[in-house]
Amino acid sequence: MADPPNRRASIRSPLDIAGGLFLLAIAATGYIGGFDLPVGHLSGIGSGLLPKTLAVLIAAFGIYLILQGLLAPGPALERWAIRGPFFVLGAVVLFALTVRPLGLIVAGPLAVIMSALASNDTRPAEIAIFAIGLTLLSGLMFKELLSLPIPFDPLGLIPSSLAHAYAGLKEGFAGLWRR
Amino acid sequence: MTFDLISNLALGLGVALTLKNLWLCFLGCLIGTLIGVLPGVGPIATITMLLPITFGIDPVGALIMLAGIYYGAQYGGSTTAILVNIPGEATSVVTTLDGHQMAKQGRAGVALGIAAIGSFIAGCIATVIIAALAAPLTAMALLFGPADYFALMVLGLMFAVVLARGSVPKAIAIILVGILLSTVGTDLESGEERLTFGWNEISDGLDVAVLAMGLFGFAEILRNLEQTQARDVVMGAIGKLLPDRNDFAQSAAPIARGTLIGAVLGLLPGNGAVLGPFASYTVEKKLADDPMRFGRGAIEGVAGPESANNAGAQTAFIPLLALGIPPNAVMALMVGAMTIHGIVPGPQIMTKQPNLFWGMITSMWIGNLMLLVINLPLIGLWVRFLKVPYRLMFPAIILMCCIGIYSINNSPVEVLMTAGFGLFGYAVMKLGFEPAPLLLGFVLGRLMEEKLRQALVISRGSFMTFVDRPLSGGLLLLSLITIVLAVLPAIRKGREEVFQEAD
Repeated sequence: MADPPNRRASIRSPLDIAGGLFLLAIAATGYIGGFDLPVGHLSGIGSGLLPKTLAVLIAAFGIYLILQGLLAPGPALERWAIRGPFFVLGAVVLFALTVRPLGLIVAGPLAVIMSALASNDTRPAEIAIFAIGLTLLSGLMFKELLSLPIPFDPLGLIPSSLAHAYAGLKEGFAGLWRR
Repeated sequence: MTFDLISNLALGLGVALTLKNLWLCFLGCLIGTLIGVLPGVGPIATITMLLPITFGIDPVGALIMLAGIYYGAQYGGSTTAILVNIPGEATSVVTTLDGHQMAKQGRAGVALGIAAIGSFIAGCIATVIIAALAAPLTAMALLFGPADYFALMVLGLMFAVVLARGSVPKAIAIILVGILLSTVGTDLESGEERLTFGWNEISDGLDVAVLAMGLFGFAEILRNLEQTQARDVVMGAIGKLLPDRNDFAQSAAPIARGTLIGAVLGLLPGNGAVLGPFASYTVEKKLADDPMRFGRGAIEGVAGPESANNAGAQTAFIPLLALGIPPNAVMALMVGAMTIHGIVPGPQIMTKQPNLFWGMITSMWIGNLMLLVINLPLIGLWVRFLKVPYRLMFPAIILMCCIGIYSINNSPVEVLMTAGFGLFGYAVMKLGFEPAPLLLGFVLGRLMEEKLRQALVISRGSFMTFVDRPLSGGLLLLSLITIVLAVLPAIRKGREEVFQEAD
């Protein structure tokens, strides 16, 4: 599954160098985030000791990887896809932004459709129907069966006739169940 | 002592056999298998996705259901491995070797059947082992001081490094990143905010479900989308479901050996359970009369590893329940789940909440039985399920994950953070790191810091305490030896071989 080592190329290993830089970035973020925190002394370690020590250690490994990347042959960088992450993670972001104001009834299909755009095989009509069906099913499962407080339709987009019909059905089932 | 054991088991059965808990166990197994069957959704993503479902339930019931989800997911992963040649996660990789070959020969039913039966037998034996070892281990745990706990966790992390694929430095580094992430939030001792950059949302720390979902759920989907490999679902006949006499005769010894190997390895901190199937496969191949059959549909190649897998999965609960230390990433998530339900795993569980402890152990056995009963008839359903095209499956998974994460804390911000971690997880994988050790480091981080602090306070600032105490000194020495061995060229080749075979 991994790319075969790029032996005939230069002595660099781009993957290792990138990995090392990644670690350095994390280490820097960690250190900056804990900059003001007291390190304390050994018999009473402060809140800053662990973050700073970890940041230093991670940086050390980062440097090690970069050196390794410069000196030893290794895999090349894999190509990063744009489409997949954009649509999939974008769908999640879209869901997060719309679920409270617009409810699951809108956020659900939006998320499903947007994420489906990440794949070449998506068919428009199929995914539209699937999106609505799935949202209704999830609403049923998560909200009704499991009583999780997720806003389904705060804007009242569902026509009241349908909403009344659904409430009626629920009453009917509840009545049967009790009997 | 035997009498104690029996009375404890009786107590446990009393808890586990209530209608409600039986129903929860059943539901957990069913849903766990259902989601676990989905290719690209491993046990970690499954547990994370289904965690919100357990919120309305009392802690004992919730844990029983979670445990059911856990084995269900494991079994679902094996089903996919056999039918579709896609392993759900590391432990199912070995099953693909002979299992899928058997499926291609029209013997999918037998493969699935022997996997289920082997797992059941292994599970029963493992449950007995857990019940027997629990009390002595917990007693032993009470001897552990903070320094010893710390050393044990270090050992566990070092084992995780050795057993992870890929280079040792990268594995250590990513564990350190996990521990660093665990420091985000409010420091318990001083009340100061750490690494929050002034952002209120994370002043309570990062949520383990958010991290897990992003790293394992979303990042995995992203990776799947890149590999547009055709899924080679076995379309033909599944064949009869029950193995015949011959199959049983051939599988009996592998099941026994697999159970033993898996049970022992599962006890080891640091993801020893992963090694179980690989070790069992190697052993069976070496012991077989005709090793050439392996890789071509030898039933021993499914029976042994599957038993080892299940035995390891169960005994992995022992370090968790007795010591409160999760031995691998999946157990780490269980710790997170327990914490959400207000349970603190550790030695005191056995004494303070015997209902919980023994109820859970007996329900493990019941769960194994249920899996056997559920899965054999439902194979046809799973096969049909697998034929749902991925273009429909992954948006559904994404929606489920979003709803799941939102419902943990009613927080859209957490959903956003999950997306962020999804990107982070994608980067991690693309750069050649393994995400599982990161999660383990994250969950162990808080505990490690606390123990380190305590140990140093007790010793008044002396690091020598780690070496002076025999237990912690021994454990740290073991950690050192483990790492050194991992780096030695000879062992390094061996590690690569183990994972090569899987590729």
